[in-house]
Amino acid sequence: MKSTTANRVIDILIVDDNPGDVRLTAEALKDCKVPTRLYTANNGVEAMAFLHRRGEFADVPLPDLILLDLNMPEMNGWQLLAKVKEDAALKHIPVVILTGSGEREDIVKTYKAHADCYVPKPIDLEQFTKKVKPIVNFLLTSTKLPTEER
Amino acid sequence: MSQISKMHQRITKSEAMTGELKQSKELFRIMFYRSPIGSYIIQNGHFRLVNRQLAHILGYEENELLGKPSLSFVLAEDRDAVRENAVRMLKGGCSVGYEFRVINKQAKIKWVMETVVPICYRRKRATLGNLIDVTERKQMEERLQQITAEMQRSNTELEQFAYVISHDLQEPLRMISSYTQLLAKRYGKKLDDDADEFIGYTVDGAKRMQMLLHDLLEYSRVGTRGKPFTPVNCEHVVKQAMANLKIAIEECNALVSYDTLPTVMGDEGQLVQLFQNLIGNAIKFRREEAPQVHISAQRRNNIITFTVKDNGIGIDPQHSQSIFEIFRRLHTREEYPGTGMGLAICKKIVERHGGHISVQSQPRQGSTFYFSIDMAGGEAK
Repeated sequence: MKSTTANRVIDILIVDDNPGDVRLTAEALKDCKVPTRLYTANNGVEAMAFLHRRGEFADVPLPDLILLDLNMPEMNGWQLLAKVKEDAALKHIPVVILTGSGEREDIVKTYKAHADCYVPKPIDLEQFTKKVKPIVNFLLTSTKLPTEER
Repeated sequence: MSQISKMHQRITKSEAMTGELKQSKELFRIMFYRSPIGSYIIQNGHFRLVNRQLAHILGYEENELLGKPSLSFVLAEDRDAVRENAVRMLKGGCSVGYEFRVINKQAKIKWVMETVVPICYRRKRATLGNLIDVTERKQMEERLQQITAEMQRSNTELEQFAYVISHDLQEPLRMISSYTQLLAKRYGKKLDDDADEFIGYTVDGAKRMQMLLHDLLEYSRVGTRGKPFTPVNCEHVVKQAMANLKIAIEECNALVSYDTLPTVMGDEGQLVQLFQNLIGNAIKFRREEAPQVHISAQRRNNIITFTVKDNGIGIDPQHSQSIFEIFRRLHTREEYPGTGMGLAICKKIVERHGGHISVQSQPRQGSTFYFSIDMAGGEAK
């Protein structure tokens, strides 16, 4: 059984094709209220391999949270979101959309596809940290994440 | 009256009739043969009488046409339609301004406009046709359609281009800004004052560029992301715009008033943005006293003209056109922040709604913006 979030390291999968953005997210998540362990996938295809623990990802844990970019090559964020939410073994994992787009259409589209949260990335580093950290803190402390079989 | 006298009268009458008939025939001959319009009589599908102008249009001599089936000069694709038109004419009496293509002797295709009417010719049913060459007009129409289509395509491409660059440029810009800030945060203590200043300029520049890209994106969205037109209550629209400007209105005690406003056909989101930009400008470019903005509307035929009048700093009339251009600013950023895109967006929204926008103003005497909306619908008509 997976333990509750209170006394263990939280596994977060960042799905983003831009290493600069991955690093910024990692910086923003420093000093979270709970200890976190970050994993990265470059696109939707790699993320699905991670989530199904195929190939090089055979030994990775099922993440507690997915931070997902939308515009990526191969399989984009929407396609991955749809696959996660229609997969019985994955659909319980909260998905936070973390993207450069502030498009109204994108926001509506992702919520309709059952994203848990939509965060447009601000240009200001401090603003970015201020936005991302509380969301992750909120999801990992104030809410109860599902306790699925690992 | 004597028999001789009666006979004389009959002969006189008959002579008069013969004279009139002669005159009529002469009149017909002149009208038919000297007409600048191609005229002809068709019987059983064949030319029985043709004039010089018809022969000229078709590129033949008159005698080359006589006895030939008239449909043989019509372009194969148009023959069915021409035949159907002839049947309709025989049932209904006449046809008006029917257009089709013919092939002339030099195998060139020409557009013609024909009117036909059923007549009796040599005691048998026939068709009298009149025809003019409209090739030049048709070619001009086609060219105009091509140019319009090309302009629309090029416009759409430009909008799409502006949309893509403004959208995609934000990502690297965010990297520049964020990592410069990260450098300052992590190594700030190891750097000197100059470095702090340079970092400050870099971050400020990136932020300004982001604002420019954001507004360019908004501008391109008017064309690329517009919604279909629906009936929109303009009083609701103004109320929504005011709600969006609530903080700015309260901060300077602005008084925004409006008359009864009509319902128009339009894109509600864009109309909110239009009023919001105009009211927002009236508040931003205010004088020392509290800003006052009044909105009214007048209808003339299908056109509604809205007026947004303020008591602000006004605009020198020499700038009354240029203020609607993209990134046009009349003041420094220190005096009034912004990218200079607001009125360009207004203009684009108004034009999408089939209208025009203009301003009447004098420095320090307030401004009155006028914009019209076509009730028949602009783009969506």
